[in-house]
Amino acid sequence: MQIGFYFDQTRCTGCFTCVVACKDYHNIPAGPISWRSVIEIERGEFPNVFVAYLSKSCWHCALPSCIPACPVDAIIKRKEDGVVVVDQESCLGKESCGNCLKACPYDAPQFGIELNAKMQKCNLCIDRLAEGKKPICVDACPMRALDVGPVDELIIKYGGVIEAEGFIYSVALAPSVVFNPKFNPQIAR
Amino acid sequence: MERKKGSENKIVSTICNSHCGGACVLKVHVKNGVIRRIETDNNDEPQFRACSRGRAYRQRVYAPDRLLYPLKRVGERGSDQFERVTWDQALDTVADELKRVKEHYGPASILHFCSLGDGHALHSAAAINRLLCMFGGYTSTWGFISYEGGAFSAAATYGTSRGSAHTGDDFLNSRLILMWGWDPATTIHRCNTPWYLAQARESGAKIYCIDPRYTDSAAVLAHQWIPIRPGTDTAMMVAMAYVMIHEGLYDQKFLDRYTLGFDKFRKYVMGCLDGIVKTPRWAEPITGAPAEVIYKLAKQYATTKPAALVAGIAPGRTAYGEQYHRAAITLSAMTGNIGVHGGSAADRSWGGESWGGDLAAFMGLGTKGRLPSPKNLVWENAGVRWNALKGRSANANSAAWVNSSMLADAILKGKAGGYPADYKLLWLANTNYLNQACQVDKTVRAFKALEFLVVQEQFMTPTAKFADIVLPVCTFMERNDFSSGGTTPFFGLVKKVIEPIGESRSHLWICEKLAPRLGIAKYSDKTEEGWLQSIVDDFAEYFHIPNYSELKKKGIYKVQLDEPYVGFREQIKNPQNNPFPTPSGKIEIFSQQISEMGNPLLPPIPQYIQTWESVNDPLAGTYPLQLITTHFRRRAHSQFDNLPWLRELQPQSISINKLDAEPRGIGHGDVVRVFNDRGEVMIPARVTERIMPGVVDIPQGAWFQPNENGADIGGCANVLTKNLISPAGAFCSNTCLVQVEKA
Repeated sequence: MQIGFYFDQTRCTGCFTCVVACKDYHNIPAGPISWRSVIEIERGEFPNVFVAYLSKSCWHCALPSCIPACPVDAIIKRKEDGVVVVDQESCLGKESCGNCLKACPYDAPQFGIELNAKMQKCNLCIDRLAEGKKPICVDACPMRALDVGPVDELIIKYGGVIEAEGFIYSVALAPSVVFNPKFNPQIAR
Repeated sequence: MERKKGSENKIVSTICNSHCGGACVLKVHVKNGVIRRIETDNNDEPQFRACSRGRAYRQRVYAPDRLLYPLKRVGERGSDQFERVTWDQALDTVADELKRVKEHYGPASILHFCSLGDGHALHSAAAINRLLCMFGGYTSTWGFISYEGGAFSAAATYGTSRGSAHTGDDFLNSRLILMWGWDPATTIHRCNTPWYLAQARESGAKIYCIDPRYTDSAAVLAHQWIPIRPGTDTAMMVAMAYVMIHEGLYDQKFLDRYTLGFDKFRKYVMGCLDGIVKTPRWAEPITGAPAEVIYKLAKQYATTKPAALVAGIAPGRTAYGEQYHRAAITLSAMTGNIGVHGGSAADRSWGGESWGGDLAAFMGLGTKGRLPSPKNLVWENAGVRWNALKGRSANANSAAWVNSSMLADAILKGKAGGYPADYKLLWLANTNYLNQACQVDKTVRAFKALEFLVVQEQFMTPTAKFADIVLPVCTFMERNDFSSGGTTPFFGLVKKVIEPIGESRSHLWICEKLAPRLGIAKYSDKTEEGWLQSIVDDFAEYFHIPNYSELKKKGIYKVQLDEPYVGFREQIKNPQNNPFPTPSGKIEIFSQQISEMGNPLLPPIPQYIQTWESVNDPLAGTYPLQLITTHFRRRAHSQFDNLPWLRELQPQSISINKLDAEPRGIGHGDVVRVFNDRGEVMIPARVTERIMPGVVDIPQGAWFQPNENGADIGGCANVLTKNLISPAGAFCSNTCLVQVEKA
């Protein structure tokens, strides 16, 4: 079974509530580490402007590139739900290694400012999943634009669209996400 | 209060209501008296989910820059030099100054202003009002900085704004929605408003956004963005009225039955008064919107029913902003969209009461849900203001008061400048006034001219830096209070989660301690809970909600309405028995009351009047760009600006279109000088297509931080804005010309 995300890009207002809720829940200070982030995509020229937001984190790929990149097997894909987690004790650190960061096209691995910071990233709030709750970002979204669940169920519920503005689906990695994407056909991409 | 895993852990349900425009549920996780994290409402639908500001509140409570004890100024005023004093010393000083000023100059010389901040029913303006009224009165303020243009217009046109707003879920009944200068994705305007709008769009409603910016609301919710020059909204509305009249698309029956004076408005629109026919072609060069676009918008709006015109309060914060609000109401009447599901009274997007009242009631402005107070003797002896309206309270109409936007002007000019008194002492609470009122340099001069300034604050804001005494107040997490959800109908207790940080104390505590020092024996005969109980029970009976003891058990009470609330429904359904509280009992498109004021710049029918500092002002030769000062995601006005989790989300910057940036050699991220005769701000440029050419935007609320040359490097928009109000009293922060240069 593989758990993944659903993101409704047509609803995201770029409010950052998911980002802050994640930082508060996981006790992450202000600074470079952000397990979740929101990017703004702006295209076109006044007055024909197109804007979309993408709320992103680790996509818990079915075939993650970070795992083979890690020389000490510090990154593990959980058998029961496919969530990709990090064993920080084994991690060699950013300066000594940093291979996961180079391998990930989605910039999911996060590092603090200290020398040889250990990798950390979205763990899909596995403690909340164990309690039968949704991850904190999903429960935070004021627009109800995020969901998490078994990917096959998400596809049935929301459809199987795997691309969105600001996101390129990697067939090799098979990120665990489906979208309701926002596209503007009038403006060339 | 739920308890979990042992007695030291608890989850407290409370309401975040931080002057952001919303009111949302927080679930605060506490362990051993310390807040560990904050979650939101994930219980029964509708859930009232908090935004990033509420979720970051732990950083506000435990901010390293929280004011932890009273401070006394030791350096020159404004030099930010203070020493720690005891509460006794601080309170003695404040009391002595209040007594001295009252005895020497009279009670009217005491000026007090309390904005919303994080104030609720109890720890708010009402607590200080009660104290000062018992002390013998003081000079209060009139005029809402946020929406005085809207408040005046509702009072003139409907006779009231009580009960004008629909509940947010009624957007699901709209077939067409005009978001006019309204960005609820940022300003929230009651919890879930953007979520309801998204659902309305998904159910097929057509949504238009009329705004100088391609806001997040426009990007997510609107089918079409119609850019418009600031200060010209009334012109577009009048042209839309022309289209409806010319094409016979207005609801004559509705106008006949419910309104007064449409014929006079029609004559104005058709050019019978001034020879100018207000066609879309006339409005095109004024508004910057193509005539064809205005024509189509008018036609769509007039022929799609029901339609909700939501008049954002930002366009009302311009010169003659009251004309915009009066014109919006007129359009809603012409299309017969008042008092029906899916329609809108169109008076203003926020602050109009809906089912169960609104925050206004808690600011001491309504009749229910506040600390009682004797009459203010300074008001008792005064007449009414020249622009007073029957539909407003005698208190709000008092000629003794100073417009809340004009405190600096009043302090500097006093009686010699036509004000009712000379102002010597200023008491500020829940406001970063220096930062948030127009024209910072003038407020600095005014603050320096005062004999005494006392500020109640949580942080050393630019305003607090000028205080003689700073009284540290606690956040809403550290006291008990009561709040409503406004047009998203729910009520609940704002519960004390932890003990006050440091020596910070609540508004009520401060007033209770000052009372005996001022010779007031009976300020309070109740505990905090006792007061809260009496306020809530009074409120509960009136609005048929659970009383205090029930609410204490429930925490949050979600009102289950049979159907969405519709503003002015009874007046429309049965006008004979429910006339509007205007002199005529009708919706007054023509207002005799306004006519009798006799001010040509405050006409009795809604009219477009060119603003000062418009693009046609000769001043535009020197300062060619129109500045607007909008709301920002990560702040509520100037609140939250100092929290690291929020600061890192978005840099404070000036938005400028490429067409204005390129000729000035300005690239994205470059630091620029934004200036006019009133001041200068140094700020990074955000070059974007999301703002119309000719207009620049500095989000208001960033803290004023002058450098050694006097230029502001904090990004404070009000360094540039002009301290002048509209004839009806509207705050004019969106009427401002500037020039931008690469620094």
